[in-house]
Amino acid sequence: MQILDPAVIKVWTIKGALRWGILLPVCTTIDVIFFFSDNDTFLPGLWTGLLLVVCLAWILIVPKLRYRYWRYELRDEDLYAIRGIWNRVQTIVPLRRIQHLDVAQDLIEGNYDLARLVVHTAGTRSTDMVVPGLPYDEAVQLRDKVREFIAEYMD
Amino acid sequence: MEAPSAKFRRLHPLTFVHYVFLAIVGFVFAAVSAPDYGGDAQRYSLIFATFYAIATGPYAIAKYIRFRYHVTSDELVIHYGVFKRVRRNIPSERIHTVSIERNMLARILGTAVVRIETAGTGEAEGNLSYIGVREAERIRNLLRTAQAPDPSESPASPSFFMPLKRVLLSSIYQFSLGISALLVGVFFQLESLGIVDSRTLVTWLVEQNFFNETIENSWPLLVALLLLVTLVLGWSLGFVQNLIRFYNFRIELGAKKIRRKFGLITLREGTLPYKRVQSFLIRSNPLMRLHGWHRLEMQTLGLQSGERGFQPGMPFAKWTEIIALAPLIRPFTVPETFMRVSRLTIRRRTLRYSLLIVLSSVVISLFWWPPALWGLCLLPAGWGLAWLQYLCHRWAHHDGNLLIRRRVFSQQFWVVPVERFQAFEITATFFQRRLGLCTLIVDTAGAGDLRYPRIIDLKREEADRLLAELYDAFQLEATW
Repeated sequence: MQILDPAVIKVWTIKGALRWGILLPVCTTIDVIFFFSDNDTFLPGLWTGLLLVVCLAWILIVPKLRYRYWRYELRDEDLYAIRGIWNRVQTIVPLRRIQHLDVAQDLIEGNYDLARLVVHTAGTRSTDMVVPGLPYDEAVQLRDKVREFIAEYMD
Repeated sequence: MEAPSAKFRRLHPLTFVHYVFLAIVGFVFAAVSAPDYGGDAQRYSLIFATFYAIATGPYAIAKYIRFRYHVTSDELVIHYGVFKRVRRNIPSERIHTVSIERNMLARILGTAVVRIETAGTGEAEGNLSYIGVREAERIRNLLRTAQAPDPSESPASPSFFMPLKRVLLSSIYQFSLGISALLVGVFFQLESLGIVDSRTLVTWLVEQNFFNETIENSWPLLVALLLLVTLVLGWSLGFVQNLIRFYNFRIELGAKKIRRKFGLITLREGTLPYKRVQSFLIRSNPLMRLHGWHRLEMQTLGLQSGERGFQPGMPFAKWTEIIALAPLIRPFTVPETFMRVSRLTIRRRTLRYSLLIVLSSVVISLFWWPPALWGLCLLPAGWGLAWLQYLCHRWAHHDGNLLIRRRVFSQQFWVVPVERFQAFEITATFFQRRLGLCTLIVDTAGAGDLRYPRIIDLKREEADRLLAELYDAFQLEATW
């Protein structure tokens, strides 16, 4: 089975930091308000500190673990993927069920020349199966392979 | 873009009455739902609602003027859009469902909504709201004749009808806590507006001394009374809701389509092609099961009438009636024997419930209410529930369908045709992996986020074997 491009760890780390970073001003504001008020229930800087600890643990550990457990494979008639740290998920998407395919790339991924392959089916749960962390060219190749297969099968 | 010619029609002029009615409802809702902390928020929300009503008025007029449609037996053409002008052609061979919906106001005004769904999307693609009833029927007949003739018109086609007696009986089994919660919300709103005062009300109730007890002793009785009132209220509202919804429920099976008509206040009428049915869900609660009643729902691709893909098939029927009618839509048979999931599920579930009970009891008793520690007495109940869940959870791969029975109280029985699968998934949480268990999920089009077919706590080897078996069957049967 294929593994993802290791650069995806950096992408996930940055995205994780940005996501948690949104909470930072909130926590800091709460801390500042408590610091200047008469209320001394909490230690000064408690919430910001807590957030930083959780955030650091999250962005340093989770991306590496996610990377370690991500595997995918384009098989004869389906796309197969295994992923998940706590909840290990194994998905089979039959190629004949694919409605359409996207190769998506955001700014951060673009910086590392990575892309995601998004596979849409009519299903509800795994409507969009996303294979992240693929080198851009590889994602395009994978998409074309799937497209060729579908076109061939339709004929 | 080509302008609509004279043959194009406008919506019914009374559409404006609907708009005005909706604006009034919105206005009242904005006024009532604003939190009353010092009065300012409420005033601002009223000002906002007024501005909104003034601003959207001209938009509604412009929308009405821009909206034109034209129906022939070949296609439905709609011109619409105020800022962005759109012309949409829907060829009649692509149309799957034409349904007519009439709510209370529409029935008073003699108007109707025509919804047109196509295979492409889950949602209604053409929506004519509102037009005259005769015009609605004309459109439906025109579009229907354009499609393949359906011999379902013959009265001999298999059908299911719920006479008033059966609807009333079915309503007895319904219980709706949702509406009770809404009423509680309304009560608090009224309180915030100063119309009622809960403190005075409760004090008054206690002072009435209904139970000839001292005031301290009447509190538990009062709580019991309130619970009873909630139960009675929940039951009465469930009764009314069910009666209104399924009044005169009728379903007829044609050669390719299912025709349904039901409703007291909002009359729903429409067709549903067989090929759009993805799976069946037969549900029941303990009381219904005791008397042999079930409810058949059909999971569909479309989201007609906002049902999140689950359409009522037979709202209240005996098992034999369901087994006689449903297989005509999609063939299935119920096997003699079902397989059970692993017994280890009892251990995993007991552990989960125990953790939940211990944690919540300890935390609540430590920080808020010490007697909450008695909650630990519920531990055996957690084991009992886990055991019942094990007994109620069964599955079978039989005759081209995956059949899954699960849940103890609100029991579900899924019939999922193998060729309707969209994707396959095996998930295993940390605890499941420790016990060598996993959950098998089959994804189908139109399943809910919370309601979908799955077999929980299969042994890993068994899940792999079943997955391979299902996938092989899928490859043989599923078409493109």
